[in-house]
Amino acid sequence: MAIKRNTRRKIGFGFLILFTVLLCVIALPREDILLKKIGIKNSLKIRRGLDLQGGAYLVYEADMSQLEKDAKSSEVLKNAAAVIERRVNPGGTGEVTVRTANGNRIVVELPGVDNPDEANQLIGRTAQLSFFEVSQAATQGQDSSGTGVVPTQVSGKDVRRATVDFQQGATQPIVSLELKGGDSTKKFAELTTKLSQNGNSLVVLLDNQIVFGPANVQDRITNGKAQLSGDFNVKQADEIATLLNAGALPVPVKVVAQQTVGPTLGSLSIKQSILAAAIGLLGVSLFLLIYYRRAGIVAVAALVFYSLLMFVVIKLSVFTPYVIVLSLAGIAGFILSIAVAVDTNILIFERMKEELKRGVSRPSAYEAGFTHAWTSIRDANAATIISCIVLYAFGTPVIKGFAVTLGLGVVLNLITALTTTKVLMRMMVRSKLSATPDWIGAIGKVKK
Amino acid sequence: MNIVAHRKRWYTISACVLIPAAIALAVFGLRLGIDFTGGSVLIIQGSESRETAEAIAKANKAENLVATGSGQNQYQLRYRFNEKEDARALQSQLESQLKTKSFEIVRLDQIGPSVSSDLKVKAVQSLAVLSLVILIYVTYAFRKVPKKLSALSFGAVTIGAAFLHDALFVLGAFALLGHFAHVEVDTFIITAILTVIGFSIHDTIVVFDRIREKLTHNPKEDFEVTVETSLQETLVRSLNTSMVIVLVLLALFLFGGASTRYFILALLLGMISGTYSSIFIASPLLVSWNNVRQKRAKSKIKNAKSIKTKK
Repeated sequence: MAIKRNTRRKIGFGFLILFTVLLCVIALPREDILLKKIGIKNSLKIRRGLDLQGGAYLVYEADMSQLEKDAKSSEVLKNAAAVIERRVNPGGTGEVTVRTANGNRIVVELPGVDNPDEANQLIGRTAQLSFFEVSQAATQGQDSSGTGVVPTQVSGKDVRRATVDFQQGATQPIVSLELKGGDSTKKFAELTTKLSQNGNSLVVLLDNQIVFGPANVQDRITNGKAQLSGDFNVKQADEIATLLNAGALPVPVKVVAQQTVGPTLGSLSIKQSILAAAIGLLGVSLFLLIYYRRAGIVAVAALVFYSLLMFVVIKLSVFTPYVIVLSLAGIAGFILSIAVAVDTNILIFERMKEELKRGVSRPSAYEAGFTHAWTSIRDANAATIISCIVLYAFGTPVIKGFAVTLGLGVVLNLITALTTTKVLMRMMVRSKLSATPDWIGAIGKVKK
Repeated sequence: MNIVAHRKRWYTISACVLIPAAIALAVFGLRLGIDFTGGSVLIIQGSESRETAEAIAKANKAENLVATGSGQNQYQLRYRFNEKEDARALQSQLESQLKTKSFEIVRLDQIGPSVSSDLKVKAVQSLAVLSLVILIYVTYAFRKVPKKLSALSFGAVTIGAAFLHDALFVLGAFALLGHFAHVEVDTFIITAILTVIGFSIHDTIVVFDRIREKLTHNPKEDFEVTVETSLQETLVRSLNTSMVIVLVLLALFLFGGASTRYFILALLLGMISGTYSSIFIASPLLVSWNNVRQKRAKSKIKNAKSIKTKK
């Protein structure tokens, strides 16, 4: 039986080493090189919050007052958020975050953007594309009753795609529209037929900006392709195309909060915080080694394992819908979770010291120490986890980031205590390393 | 050193610190950042003198101009929220002026009133809910203590030490800092206070856990003795942990970025207060509470008995 247990323990230790190596691989900054060899193509970059990499933070409020009676405001808000996301992140590859909040708010985070005004231009516009038929009288300025401008059945909803093009030999850009098939193409064909026959003009407006016309339509267009040419430059043409492709906002929005973090501020903070964290970790390790002597090695190893584990979980969270974005508050939460991790170790060690003082053998001290310390660890950490849940539920976004890292840290710390600390300590009490009387620090008089 | 026996001493020390803190809060109030008041804040940086910056600020009717702590001729202008001017208008208006004086805008924050009142509400809400939840949790976790003790006392003292003692201490400090050093309280600082509370609770529970364990072994022992021995036994661990945390925070404070400096300061102050309150206030309070409770129960019995004998 004893042999079987020893083998089991050795296997346990082996797994621990393997797992640690795996963690190191994933935690490395250039892990994508190594991962490619196994065939995993994605790079695992930790998503940094705005306060760490600089960028713009915008909050929009949607005006729900004009909604139709049976429209669900949450659906509408989600739609609006999707439209906005398509506008600021057309390729889908950027690190942009667009999320809804509070029933009528949309929060947009644009890392790396130091001029939010341009983004604002795109986001704030409703972007309704409308096609109007203009009577000849109105074109000549003789329409006093205002009935000369008639809206048509064709609108932005019929557009499948918009691209910026240049006509041969022209420097003025145009926006080529590709209409959706079926009804849309038919409607447009009917409109162009009508216009080519009655001589009225076509005017196309994007919100209240004229993007085409007023101009006569010479032929019917049955292939669903149209070209908008107007008084716009390349940049504006690009904007129009982006807006058309993203779609119109279902409700108007206005900006209610705006914060920009300059890139210098952001990058300074992260460098300094990492330096500080490293120094802190070093100081803690020194203290543990000095006070708990050889047992301190177990504590430091557990700390390193825990940091690795945390790093890896944050990196891997990119694959889940709950991406953990690191922010300054998050780093602070992590640093405090280190303190909790150390506290756990201290609880165990002090408990073991008490047992050793009573004169029991080292393995027994280890068993008793762990068992008794566990209730304190469990209760105290449970309270911290509950606190984090409350903070996440009720807090502002900054508080949420903090709660996530602290809560995650506490959970991972419990796991670390049950694996690394336990395994390593179990080995240490049975090895020569703990043969000296002060292997776990000064114990004082031992009862014989 | 007997901690519980000298509890009146510790209560006095706390009162000497907390009463001034409360007064500072009442008199100076907290200097709230735009997170909670709404408005606009611009941080400009340039090589011109402070007078130039002040002139620009006055010309644009800024509410105040403060030098930010990060040196390098950085100044912070603050504006009350104005419906008519949005951030863009403000920025372009200032940009043209600033460029001529070789200032540049490093940062622009604008928080509308709906967002800021939202943040205010959320901050208060999270504090309120947290205290309630912890009260219930600790009372429930300690429901099996001997009848002579009140489980509620454990819960109440836990959050009392955390909220009324530690949070008050930190807030008082920031009332002073806000008045004399123009330090603002924003959501970061609120986060720090929530951390402090969380930690104080963690610390207190470890001690209470030890008390509970002793109670299961020796239920007949005098409660004061039980608490004292529990305290002495967990003292080393408490101090070690606190030392570790303070080390980490000190490193952050000295070497970390200027933007987190006051956040770390709030944490440091809170940790020190938290350690002190867990050891010298929380457990002695338990004893005081339960002593009063027992006296009341005894006098009730006495009165009942004397009524019986009178009859």
